[in-house]
Amino acid sequence: MLKPILRRLASAAAVLWAAATAAYLALHLAPGSTIDTLVGDGPDTPVIRAQIAADLGLDRPAVVQYVAYLGRLLHGDLGRSYVLQRPVADIIGGQIWPTVKLTLLASAFIVVIAVGLALLTTGRARWIRGLVSVLELSLISAPTFLIGILLLSLFSFRLGWFPVSGDRDASALVLPALSLALPLGALLSQVIREGLERALEEPFALTARARGLKRSALLWRHALRHALLPAVTLGGTLIGFMLSAAVVVEQVFGRPGLGHVATEAVGTKDIPVVLAVVMLASAIYVLLSTIADLAYLLIDPRLRKG
Amino acid sequence: MRRFLAGLAAAGLLLAGCQSAAADPDAGAGAPVQGGKLTWGIETEPVTFNPHQYSQAKARLLVWNSFEGLLTHDDKGGFVPWLAKSYSVSADGLTYTFKLRDDVTFHDGEKFDAAVVKANLDQLQVPGYAPSVLASQLRNYKDATVVDATTIDVHLKQPDVLILDFFAAPQGAQVSPKSLKSPDLKAGGPDVVGTGPFILDRYSKGQEVHYKRNPNYKWAPANAGHQGPAYLDEITYRFLKESSVRVGALTSGQVDVVEGVPATEQELVKADPNLAFSRSLNSGTGYIYYFNQTKAPFDDIRVRKAFRDAVDVDALLQGVYRGTATRAWSILSPSGPFYDASLEKTYGNNPAQANSLLDQAGWSAKDADGFRTRDGKRLSVRIVLSAPYVRDKRDILAQAVQAAVKQSAGIDLQVKIVDPGTATDALAKNEFEVFENSRADTDAGAALSLILPKGAPINRHGYNSPEVDQLVAQASATADTAKRKEIYLKLQQLTVTDNATLLPLYAPADQIAAQKKVGGLGFEPTAGVPASAYNVWIGA
Repeated sequence: MLKPILRRLASAAAVLWAAATAAYLALHLAPGSTIDTLVGDGPDTPVIRAQIAADLGLDRPAVVQYVAYLGRLLHGDLGRSYVLQRPVADIIGGQIWPTVKLTLLASAFIVVIAVGLALLTTGRARWIRGLVSVLELSLISAPTFLIGILLLSLFSFRLGWFPVSGDRDASALVLPALSLALPLGALLSQVIREGLERALEEPFALTARARGLKRSALLWRHALRHALLPAVTLGGTLIGFMLSAAVVVEQVFGRPGLGHVATEAVGTKDIPVVLAVVMLASAIYVLLSTIADLAYLLIDPRLRKG
Repeated sequence: MRRFLAGLAAAGLLLAGCQSAAADPDAGAGAPVQGGKLTWGIETEPVTFNPHQYSQAKARLLVWNSFEGLLTHDDKGGFVPWLAKSYSVSADGLTYTFKLRDDVTFHDGEKFDAAVVKANLDQLQVPGYAPSVLASQLRNYKDATVVDATTIDVHLKQPDVLILDFFAAPQGAQVSPKSLKSPDLKAGGPDVVGTGPFILDRYSKGQEVHYKRNPNYKWAPANAGHQGPAYLDEITYRFLKESSVRVGALTSGQVDVVEGVPATEQELVKADPNLAFSRSLNSGTGYIYYFNQTKAPFDDIRVRKAFRDAVDVDALLQGVYRGTATRAWSILSPSGPFYDASLEKTYGNNPAQANSLLDQAGWSAKDADGFRTRDGKRLSVRIVLSAPYVRDKRDILAQAVQAAVKQSAGIDLQVKIVDPGTATDALAKNEFEVFENSRADTDAGAALSLILPKGAPINRHGYNSPEVDQLVAQASATADTAKRKEIYLKLQQLTVTDNATLLPLYAPADQIAAQKKVGGLGFEPTAGVPASAYNVWIGA
C-alpha cells in the first residue's frame, strides 16, 4: 500500500522539478530581459541597467541563479517578484481564488454542454447531427478571444444581462466561464457522441433493447459509461488548455486571476512569478491526473478488480 | 528604444482645456456637482503605485490622484507652485530654495514639511531603490539642507534646470515618511500614501483600483481648475486591456469614462449622441524614423533627403489612421512650447526631387524588381520593430511607408517585426538603417539629451555634431525659458532641415471618451496625458 503512494509522490516531485527546470530554461533562452521592463518608459543607460541587474542578482551566472532558486524553493520560499516588488506567495495567493471559481464553473458548463449535446444528438437524423457538428467544429476552432468578445457584445453591451468585467458577483462569472467552456464542451461532446454511437452498435446494446430497455435508459445507464472513459482521459489533459485559455478570458473580461498574472510575468520576464505559476499548474495537473485515474475505477467496474 | 512613450496628445478639444484640466461649460454636464461615484475604464494596470518607481506614461493619470509634487507644469514650459509656495535659484544656478506650504497633511495624518522633502530625496539615494531616477533626473543632485520647517535648499553639482522638471514629475512626488518605512514601499498601494485629493483605499490586482475623496484637501495648485476637496466621493478605475471591450463597456453604460480609443473605435464613439470624445497630443517627441548615418546609404545626406521626399506622410496617415492622427514635422511634439512650427511644409512629398537626388548620389540604375541600384547593389534599408512594443498600428504604418518609397523612388524598405531580443540584437550589431522611436518626456531637453548628443543612450542613428552636443548641454544649463526656446529652435533647424537626420511621422496622442453627464475631464498641461480625477464631476 505504502509503496505505490511513495512511487506516486516521487513521480509527482520529479514532474514538478522538471516543470520548474523547463520553465527556467525557456525563460532564460528567450530573448529580452527583465531589465527592459524595469527601465520602462524611463531613461535607459548602461549604468542604470547594471544597477538593476545587481539589485536583482541577475548579474550572477545563470547556473548559480538556478541553484539558488531551487534551494529557496525547497525551503518553501517562492521569492519576490522582480517587477511587482512583492512576495510571490502574496501575489499568487491573492489571484488563485478568482481563477479557481472560473475554472470550476467552466468545468460544470463543460460537463453540461458535452454530455447534454452528445445525448441529444446521438443517433438523430443526419441533418441535425450535421448541423451540430458544424457548430461544434466552429466553437473548437474559434479563438477563445473571439468567443469572449462575441458573448460580451451580445449579452453585455447589447442586452445588458451580464456585467463586462471584474470579479464582483455570480453574474460576472457566467460569460467568462461560458467562453472557456464552449470550445472544450464542444470538443468533448464529439468524443462522447462517438463513444455513445460505438457503444450502441455493440451486441450488449442489442441485447438490452431486446430485454425491453428503453432507448433513453440504455443511453444513460450503459452507453454513457462506455463513452465517458475516453472523455475523462481527454478531459484530464485539457486542464492545460483550460489554464492557457483562462489567460485570454481574464484579459478580455478584465478579471483578476492566475492567467493574467502569468501572461504579465512571462511578458516582463518576471522569473520568480512565472516559476511559481508553473509549479502551481504542474501540481494541479498531477493532482487532477490522479483524480482521473480514480474516476476510471468509478466509471468502469472492470478496472476495479485489476 | 523600447521606451515608448506612450501615446498621448494635444489640443484641448471638447473637454480639454490646456491651461488647466479645467472645467468645460460646454461639456453638457452643466455646473460642477458635488458627490457621486465614477467608474473609469483604463488600458494599463500600473506595475507599481509608488510614484518614485513610476515608469509607465499610461499610468500617470492615477499618480496625481493620491500624490503631489512640489511644483506642477503650466502649459507654457514653466512651473506652478504646488506643495511648494515658491522657489528661487541662486545666481550660480547651483542652489534651488523651495518655500513650502505649512498646511499640508498626508492621508495618514503625518505633517508635510522640509524634513519630509529631504526624507524623500534620501530615500531616492538608497542603492537599488530608483536607479533610473538617480542616473537621469537627479544626475546633478548633490544634497539637500533643511533650513527650517518650511524651507529646503537643494544643492546641485552643476547647473541643471531639469531639476525643476523632476520636482514636477511623478518620481519627485512626496510620499509620507511613515510610508517610506513600509515593507511594501516599492509596490505601493493602500499603505503607501501621499497628500493628494483622493485616497487609494482598495486595489484588486488584475481588476480595479478604488479611490475615495480626501475630505481635508485644500492645497490644489493655482491651475487645477478649482480649490478645496475633489467633487467625486469615489472613483473606480477598472483595468480593461482590450480597446473594444473598453468602448463596449462605455457604450452600454457600464463605465462612465474610458481612455485609449484607437482610430478604429473613434467613429463609433463620435457617432454616439450620448458620448463626448476628446484627445490631446503628448509631450516629448513625435513618432520618428531616424536615419542611421554611420553607414551607407544614409551616410549620404542626399539619400536621407530623398527618402523624406519619397513619402507623402499626410496621405499615409489618412490611410492608416483615417484622419485621426496629427502629423509631426519636427523632432519635438507640436504640443510643446519649444516646437518649431516654421518647419512645417518645408520638405517631403516630392518624388521628382527624390529621384533626382538619388540619381546624383549614384543610385541611378534599376534592377528587375524596379529598385534602384549602385555598383550592382540594391538600395535596401531595414527598419526593425519589436513586436510587443508595436502600438498605434506602427507596423501598418511601416508597411505603408515601404510601399510609398518603393513606388515613388525605388527604395527597398525592409520592415522587420521581431521579438524584443532580436530587435535589441539588431540595434547592438548596427544591423538596421532606420531607427523608430517616440518619447513622452515632459521636458523637451530630457528627450533631446537622450537622442541627439554623440554617444547618448538612444542616439542609435549615429548623428555626430559638436555643435549639437554643445547646444543640448547649454539648453539644460539655461534657466531662462525664452533663451532655452531659442536654443531648441536652433537644434530643430540643425537636425530636421540642415542634417535631414530624421523623418517625423505623427504626434502620439491620448484620447478620452465619456458619457455626456461627466464634466471636468481633461488633459494634464504639458504632459498631454489624461489628468487626475480632481476636477471631474457627474452631472444630473
